[in-house]
Amino acid sequence: MSYEERANARPNLGDDSDVEEEALVNDYREQVNFDDSMSELDRTTSLGAGSQTQDLQAQLAAAATPLEYQATLETKFASYDNYCSLFHYILNSEGPVDLEVPSYYWAWDVIDEFIYQFESFCRYRNRVARSGSNEEEAQLLRENPNTWGCYSVLNVLYSLIQKSQINEQLAAMKRGEDPLAYAGEYGSRPLYKMLGYFSIIGLLRVHCLLGDFSLALKTLDDIEMNKKAMFARVMAAHFTTYYYVGFSYMMMRRYADAIRMFSHILVYVSRTKNFQKGGNSYDAIAKKNDQMYALIAICVALQPTRLDDTIHSALREKYGEQLHRLQQGGPEALPLFEELFRSACPKFISPTPPDFDNPAVNVDPVDHYTGIFMDEIKNTIHNPTIRSYLKLYTTMDLKKLAGFLEVEPEKLRSWLLVNKQRSRQVRWIEGGLLEGEPAVANDLDYALESDLIHVSETKAGRRLVDWYLRNLARVY
Amino acid sequence: MVAAFDKCETRPANIDAILEGLDRYNPETTTIFQDYVAQQCEDRSFDCYANLALLKLYQFNPHLLQAETATNVLTKALTVFPSPAFSLCLALLPAYTQPFNTDGQAAAQNNDFVESVQKLAQLSTLLESAQYAQFWSTLNSDDLYADLVADVAGFEELVRIRIALEIGKTFREISIDILEQWLDLRSRDALEKFATEVCSWQVDNAAGVVRVPTNKENEVRSEVKSERVGIDMFGRVIRRGFEQAA
Repeated sequence: MSYEERANARPNLGDDSDVEEEALVNDYREQVNFDDSMSELDRTTSLGAGSQTQDLQAQLAAAATPLEYQATLETKFASYDNYCSLFHYILNSEGPVDLEVPSYYWAWDVIDEFIYQFESFCRYRNRVARSGSNEEEAQLLRENPNTWGCYSVLNVLYSLIQKSQINEQLAAMKRGEDPLAYAGEYGSRPLYKMLGYFSIIGLLRVHCLLGDFSLALKTLDDIEMNKKAMFARVMAAHFTTYYYVGFSYMMMRRYADAIRMFSHILVYVSRTKNFQKGGNSYDAIAKKNDQMYALIAICVALQPTRLDDTIHSALREKYGEQLHRLQQGGPEALPLFEELFRSACPKFISPTPPDFDNPAVNVDPVDHYTGIFMDEIKNTIHNPTIRSYLKLYTTMDLKKLAGFLEVEPEKLRSWLLVNKQRSRQVRWIEGGLLEGEPAVANDLDYALESDLIHVSETKAGRRLVDWYLRNLARVY
Repeated sequence: MVAAFDKCETRPANIDAILEGLDRYNPETTTIFQDYVAQQCEDRSFDCYANLALLKLYQFNPHLLQAETATNVLTKALTVFPSPAFSLCLALLPAYTQPFNTDGQAAAQNNDFVESVQKLAQLSTLLESAQYAQFWSTLNSDDLYADLVADVAGFEELVRIRIALEIGKTFREISIDILEQWLDLRSRDALEKFATEVCSWQVDNAAGVVRVPTNKENEVRSEVKSERVGIDMFGRVIRRGFEQAA
């Protein structure tokens, strides 16, 4: 049976998902083609600049265009000013501005690039302070503490959201009402609506970069996470959303939800793979793709889960040996957890200017978050060992097991408590992303009667429906 | 039904309004949040989501940071272990606090705030890794700890109840000697009183054990999860049946 058929036969992917997905795939094709025509557009606009409108067109195009890799600080400052004046014009003109936007995807590109430049500026500033070698740049940064400030960045995003009444519109859509009734003068225009919408995704990302994981998830309250959502129309937005939502869940120790998010998007990407090769965002997506596989490997090690077949085989292919080591646990696996986390986490930033006078006190934010994450890993690193042993018994003496594991009985009691705690997890069922019910996340359960461990295992019954449907599809 | 992370039953309406709106970024609300933390310390309630908003204000406006309030937020977060609350709070603190740095670099900075955060992080690690006996001995080992938890009314009692709760989930029966160490109740009378009155456990002095009545977590039943079969799963087959017939 071909892969395509198997994917179609899988009932838990949602019944209308195939039709939806076909539409998305076609949509993506358009995007890829569109990117080409977009670059031509760039060329034509750059030919004639001078008059007011053309100047604006240049600003619009520049806002969506990445800076050169080696851009100087002056260029970065100038780019910030460009964004400021552009957003000022869009937000504070009298009445909604009537702009001819280069493309439908322009809104996403602008917000994406805006946040990317904020992120890289903060990281650069922090690096200059830490190395303490480039006095000239340090001085320039010291004199401009408000350039790319966190308040101005958040201000832009929140203003776009408010102006477009996008949250009200989305809430209305959720209730099945007409969003236009809530859109207002600004929000009824595609320019404002799209900017507002992608600003929500942008906020998710900024909050996550700043380490505020619960607020990141809260930001998406009005957005429904499914393929019908607006973000799904722009591949990069779709991808970004699931990455940051999954990551935030992971930092809130909701591994089951994190796995659900990563799996969803990775399955989708694997189906659209053929089209990506042509796109110019292919490299970026391929990189994020690998990062998400690394994160899913971490989550699965922390919480054994049956993965979707496609994800499972891709994971084995990319991280087979590492996954095995992660799943074995034990102190030997710690460096690997750290390595994968560092390679796959977002590039965290510190929102405030660093201390240029004391290079030593400036710590890379990535180190900070890695430390916090690794503490939880260290606390739970013995869970896999415990699980693999207890699976073999229905009753077991604690001292005897301690002997097998060559640890003090006292230590083993702690490990048992920890494993029990971590097998209870909040899991999303419905409503906002922060909601959820505690669920038993493990098929292995146990209780201690003094030193006697009673073990029980929840077995999954045979899954017949899937098999039945698959065979039915083949013969009928 | 557990309340969502962003909700809190004991949260006053005015705090709720700030959290919902953009005032959560307004430096002028810092004092309101600080008062709210003080109130939580007194009345033993805990509102993680609101406290994170305060730490975020500190993150954006480092000059406003009140070390004492920040450490009180962390101490309060300890009283709800095991939960991600403590690490979520740490995530909003400045990176220079290096909560889990053990190589003593930060000590060289000679910063009281950094030292406090690191001490509290150490306590958190002990609680999260269920090393309760070490937790109590660490807590009692240094006057600095006493200072850190001083503002939080009933800190020890809250943690003790929390530990008891975790024990109740994993144990049906536990020896009195271990319980003594884990709960840091050295007198037999106090231990019996706590076990029977607060936890409703039975103390069996003759056998030297405490029995925990069966609850949802410690009963441990084996079961076979059967598959959920819904008509929707057959939608495609049924549809095809109709289409072909036509």
